[in-house]
Amino acid sequence: MAEFSWDVRSPLDRALVSGAHGAHGDAGVSLTEIRDFDLIQVMARRGKAADMATAAKARFGIAAPETPKAVRTADATLIWSGPDQFLVLSKGGGHGTEALAQPFASSASLSDQSHTRVLISISGARALTMLAKLSSIDLHPDAFPVGAAAATSMDHASVTLWRGNDRDGLAVFNVLVFATFAESLWHTMLDSAAEYGVDISHSEDMA
Amino acid sequence: MRITCPFCGERELGEFTYLGDAKPVRPVAGASEDEVFDYVYLRDNVAGVMSENWYHGGGCRAWLKVTRNTLTHEISAVEPAAGAGAAKVGA
Ligand SMILES: [Zn+2]
Repeated sequence: MAEFSWDVRSPLDRALVSGAHGAHGDAGVSLTEIRDFDLIQVMARRGKAADMATAAKARFGIAAPETPKAVRTADATLIWSGPDQFLVLSKGGGHGTEALAQPFASSASLSDQSHTRVLISISGARALTMLAKLSSIDLHPDAFPVGAAAATSMDHASVTLWRGNDRDGLAVFNVLVFATFAESLWHTMLDSAAEYGVDISHSEDMA
Repeated sequence: MRITCPFCGERELGEFTYLGDAKPVRPVAGASEDEVFDYVYLRDNVAGVMSENWYHGGGCRAWLKVTRNTLTHEISAVEPAAGAGAAKVGA
C-alpha cells in the first residue's frame, strides 16, 4: 500500500506572494491571510435553539450572536452564520470539535470547517473603498460598526464577513471564504486593491 | 430588485434564487394521480400579488416566503419559510 505524507498547505499557498503589489508608495490596503485556525459550525437541532444558547453562554461566558454579529471572548470569536447557527473561530484546539462535543451534545450539531475556509483580514486606510467594489453591503462605520457581521456574497462567492477590532485606529474586516473559491476571490481582491497599493502577507496570529 | 431577508436585512437580488409559487401543497400519501399531476406540473400565471419561495443561498441559506406583485415587483412581505431556523418550528 502506498504511503502518503500529507502536507498541510493553505489553498492560497501558490497565489499569495508576500510583499508589495500594485501602486507604489504607502500601501492603502493590507491583505493578510490568517493560517492554521479552528473553525467549528454550531447548528441548533430542531426546537433546541434555546438550549444551544444556554450551552453557548455556559461554555464561552458570553451569549452567542442571534443576529448578524461577531462577539469575542479571550480566545475565541463567535460569528453569526444564519438563523440558529454560528461559527466558533479559535486557535490551538481549545475550542475544536472534541472540546465542544460534550457542551453541545444535547442541543446542537457540530461540523468542523477548519480546513474548508480561508480567512483573509483586510485593513488599511483604503480597505473600505476597496471592499465597496466587491460587496453590496453598506460598510460605512455607521452601518457596519465593530462587531457587525454578514453572511453575504463577494464576486459570486459565498462569504462570512465581519468587522473586527480596529488596529492603529483603522477598521479591520475579516472574510471567511470556501477554500475552493479562495484563490479566485484573492485575485479579485488584488485587482480591486491594486490602485491603492497593497501590502500582502500571511500570519499565524489571529488579529 | 432588493429583498429584505428577515435574518440578514436588505440584500441585492443576486444573493437569492427563485424557486416558484409557494402555494402548492404536497398531496398526502395515496393521493390520486390527478392531484399529484396538479402539484408537480400545474401553476397559476398570476398577474398581481403572489406568494413565492426564495432561497437566500448567497447569504444565510434560509428559505423565505416572499409576497410579491408580479406586475410592479413590489414586495409587501418576507417571512421565513417553514423549517427555516430551528427555533421557528417544532419548538
Ligand atoms: Zn438571509
